Amino acid sequence: MSRLHPVTALTKTLGYAVQWASVPFFLVSILSGAFDVVRIDWVFSLAPVGFLLGAAYGLVEYYRFEYELSEDTFDLASGVFSRRDREIPFRRVQNVDVSRGIVQRLLGLAVVSIETAGGGDTEATLRYVGEGEANWLQREIRRLTAENDEIEADEQEGLEPDPTERPEPATAGTSGDRRPTHLFELDQVELGLLSLTTAKLSASMVVAVVTAFGGDAALGLVLSLARPFGGPAQLAGASPLEYAALALSSALYGAVATYLVGVVYTFVGYYGFRIGEAGDDLVYERGLLQRYSGSIPTEKIQTLSIVENPLQRAIGYAGLRIETAGYGPDGGGNQSAIPLAKRSRVERFVARATGIESGDFDRPPTVARRRYLVRYSVIAAAIVAAAGAAGIVWGLPYWYASALAVLGAPVGAHLRWTNLGYDLREDHLLVREGFWRRRTHVVPYYRLQTVSTRRSVFQRRLGLASLVIDTASSRTFVRGTPTIHDLSLSTARSIHADCRERLEDARRTRAREERALSVAFT
Amino acid sequence: MERLSPRIRPVWLTAAIVQAAVSGGLLVGGAVGLTRATDLADAVGLAESTVVQGAIALAVVLAVVRLALAWLRYSVWRFELREDALYIERGVLTRVKTVVPFVRVQHVDSQRGPVERAVGLATVVVYTAGSRSADVAIPGLRPDRAEDLREELRRLAIESEGEDAV
Repeated sequence: MSRLHPVTALTKTLGYAVQWASVPFFLVSILSGAFDVVRIDWVFSLAPVGFLLGAAYGLVEYYRFEYELSEDTFDLASGVFSRRDREIPFRRVQNVDVSRGIVQRLLGLAVVSIETAGGGDTEATLRYVGEGEANWLQREIRRLTAENDEIEADEQEGLEPDPTERPEPATAGTSGDRRPTHLFELDQVELGLLSLTTAKLSASMVVAVVTAFGGDAALGLVLSLARPFGGPAQLAGASPLEYAALALSSALYGAVATYLVGVVYTFVGYYGFRIGEAGDDLVYERGLLQRYSGSIPTEKIQTLSIVENPLQRAIGYAGLRIETAGYGPDGGGNQSAIPLAKRSRVERFVARATGIESGDFDRPPTVARRRYLVRYSVIAAAIVAAAGAAGIVWGLPYWYASALAVLGAPVGAHLRWTNLGYDLREDHLLVREGFWRRRTHVVPYYRLQTVSTRRSVFQRRLGLASLVIDTASSRTFVRGTPTIHDLSLSTARSIHADCRERLEDARRTRAREERALSVAFT
Repeated sequence: MERLSPRIRPVWLTAAIVQAAVSGGLLVGGAVGLTRATDLADAVGLAESTVVQGAIALAVVLAVVRLALAWLRYSVWRFELREDALYIERGVLTRVKTVVPFVRVQHVDSQRGPVERAVGLATVVVYTAGSRSADVAIPGLRPDRAEDLREELRRLAIESEGEDAV
């Protein structure tokens, strides 16, 4: 059994020591305010005790955390009070990620995460191991995963002695430690375009937190920025009009700041992105400050998704994401294969991987568009009603300007409808949806888990149905599950039945197909 | 198509009543608290009692809808073991028909919560590797039927090849 890097002992000891010392600190601070019995000077005796206990705990935890590579499992033993022994069979491993932050890079450390399907979390995290050890682990686990898969494949072949089904003997998988074959590298132009065209909504949290903790300086800035728009001189005692101006300008500048933070975040995150193939795995690395590297076994790929926003569509660029059943740092087993490139290049990549040249999409019936028009009109009416109420009660000026929202409804309905699409290919189902973030999912039939037909009250009235195509990709957000929206009922029924049949067919020829997929990537 | 045991109806109705009581309590309590603590009612130009009465009316309407949905849910729920898949039909407002191919079944549980034990029912939960795995649960089964179904699903899942179900 091996232990983590010795520096971990230090970080754990210090981390727990500070953490445990802060508990009595805060408890006493709070309680001394509430109860007379508790005196604030207890802090001076309790905090050091917490510090020592925490340090001891951290040290013991370091010594009790051990891992080992056995022939077909990755073994992990951890825990101070409740021991936990874990064995992860290699053939269940979805991907192995290595990430290194700035400080970790200076110290020659890395974090290794091992993802499997199932569970809601990373299966095993080794924080920290030496850099060399991390790379060795990643290579070795990849090699062992590939070997275990072959053994399994051989056993299965043994069960079904059908000479035509037998795949070519694997040539690639055995040499997992070869240098990766280069597949894609993000160049400076693409990185620039990617950063500039990506809006990160999560960046608004950063802006909000910075503003909240900025205190008077931040408040002063917000107020001075709002003044040209007719904002108040002080926060207290301003007129509703001034508050409205303040809110408007804050929202505007907040959006700009969010965008800028997002640009920097994307640039730093995808700097030097490279993806290649080693054996049966895709290996990638990226990042300026925090360097990530990971591997995705090609046979664990669930779906490919082409992702593009309106800006990227306008300049003819798109991104490609790969979804596996694991859980990665990007939220779910969802990795960028191509962060951004010319659309034709992305399509070539997809064509090589799946044999699909380009989609020939069918759209849902136009009655679906009518449905969206009604939906958006209701939303627009609600906005106008709210603005009207505010106008009457608080005297919000120009509230009737909100009537412009009504004009947005038909535009929005058409854009939503026009971006919907589906295409049933021989081996894959293509599903396209979304205007702001258009996603084209390429779902192989043999990856289907469950297929559901959903019909809401309104859909039943209009004779429509939605088809939810669930795969094992672990993106649990609602928009992550590929859905064909608002098909006519008969189409939905026939696709539903089709999907099941094709899953059966695909499963029979699965072995052959998988081989084709992994060969296609080289 | 197999129906659930009708005994599931009181279970769902009870759950609906509890939920309606909690959400109704929050709604009415919130309205009372808001009108007492702030002058919101005055600002909108309504009497405090009107706001509270409105909240009560809303809570009652929501409770009735909830109960109606719980009542109707039983008549919609159906399931069937087909040749190669488990077929489920459910949902009052949004009707959902789900097909779970046996190949995709990872494991099968039967569960009995305290309320279900009280009325003598059980739930069979079918796990797949899909991201909506928790969706595939068949409630309102008699315990012996639940056991049978679990065994049958297990057998069918194994029969349809023990390959990697991901």
